[in-house]
Amino acid sequence: MKRFINHNKDWELSEDIKTGFQVPENYFKDIENHFSLKLIEDKFPEHNGFETPKAYFESLNDVIIDKTKKGKLIHFKRKKIKLISVAASIVLLLFFGSNFIYNTNTELSSEEIISWLDINANSLSNDDIALALTELNINDINPYLAIKNEDIVESLLNSNDLDYLIEDINTK
Amino acid sequence: MIDEIALVKELQNIKTKEKAFRVLITQYKERLYWHIRKIVISHDDADDVLQNTFIKVFRGIDNFKHDSKLYSWLYRIATNESITFINKRARERNIDISELKQKLVTNLQSDAWFSGNDIQIILQEAVARLPKKQQLIFNMKYFDHLKYQEISEILGTSVGGLKASYFQAVKKIENYIKKNHN
Repeated sequence: MKRFINHNKDWELSEDIKTGFQVPENYFKDIENHFSLKLIEDKFPEHNGFETPKAYFESLNDVIIDKTKKGKLIHFKRKKIKLISVAASIVLLLFFGSNFIYNTNTELSSEEIISWLDINANSLSNDDIALALTELNINDINPYLAIKNEDIVESLLNSNDLDYLIEDINTK
Repeated sequence: MIDEIALVKELQNIKTKEKAFRVLITQYKERLYWHIRKIVISHDDADDVLQNTFIKVFRGIDNFKHDSKLYSWLYRIATNESITFINKRARERNIDISELKQKLVTNLQSDAWFSGNDIQIILQEAVARLPKKQQLIFNMKYFDHLKYQEISEILGTSVGGLKASYFQAVKKIENYIKKNHN
């Protein structure tokens, strides 16, 4: 019988019998790294020391639901952007301007403007606006900048940033 | 454990949206808060970014197509919001992001919502010095205890790449702590 070649040793298998067990690729290398990482990590503090005000999470659901009903994003409390109302108007003008330039047939709905502001307003800095203005040829957009004041007022009234703009103007 | 598919269905139904959204907030607010907090550092900023994250989720849930898991979609939005916030803050102050992060960590000592000791501050300093992606990976793995596969789904990086980045991050942090802690 080939299976057990040495009866003096208990259940010794012949070389051609395999266990069938396999390990994932790079397992032994990974486990070595894992143990070495674990040893280093054990020296790190377990917690980061960050805390929140008492009952902060309890009231959070209602705060967020209220905000979704008002439909406006939070403008970061400590953000100090000067002339934000002017910048918002320039963004609107740029939006109108570039769309009129590139697609004169485009009719803009208030939803499109709100959506565009949602996506872009928080990530636009004064530098971005200045850069965008220098990239546009003012002479090209001048005819389209002649938007009636009523159009801008209507756009702002439809914009979800109106509350914030009023608040911002009042605090100046 | 909530049924993710059923929850998304309710979130996408105008009649059940608000109720389902409350469930979603309850389920994820703490995890997302702590994820955001480790990126933006201060509580006030984390609060703002978290609220914006949920508002964007509320507005964008109709476009969620199940091509990723809900939690990884939420984490992605939270991560993007946090990074956008940090980038913007750095631009406003005319400094680069790593300098800003270091300033934020320095301010921790006077932060009312930080109770860490010296070693915890040093750990935060060390994390702030890492490249942005390594910071995210370290925080998600070490503090949030996410699995590599979960981090991979959130950040869109291969598991192998994540392991290598995490290893490098841990080594850098170890070196920084050795140099700066008695």
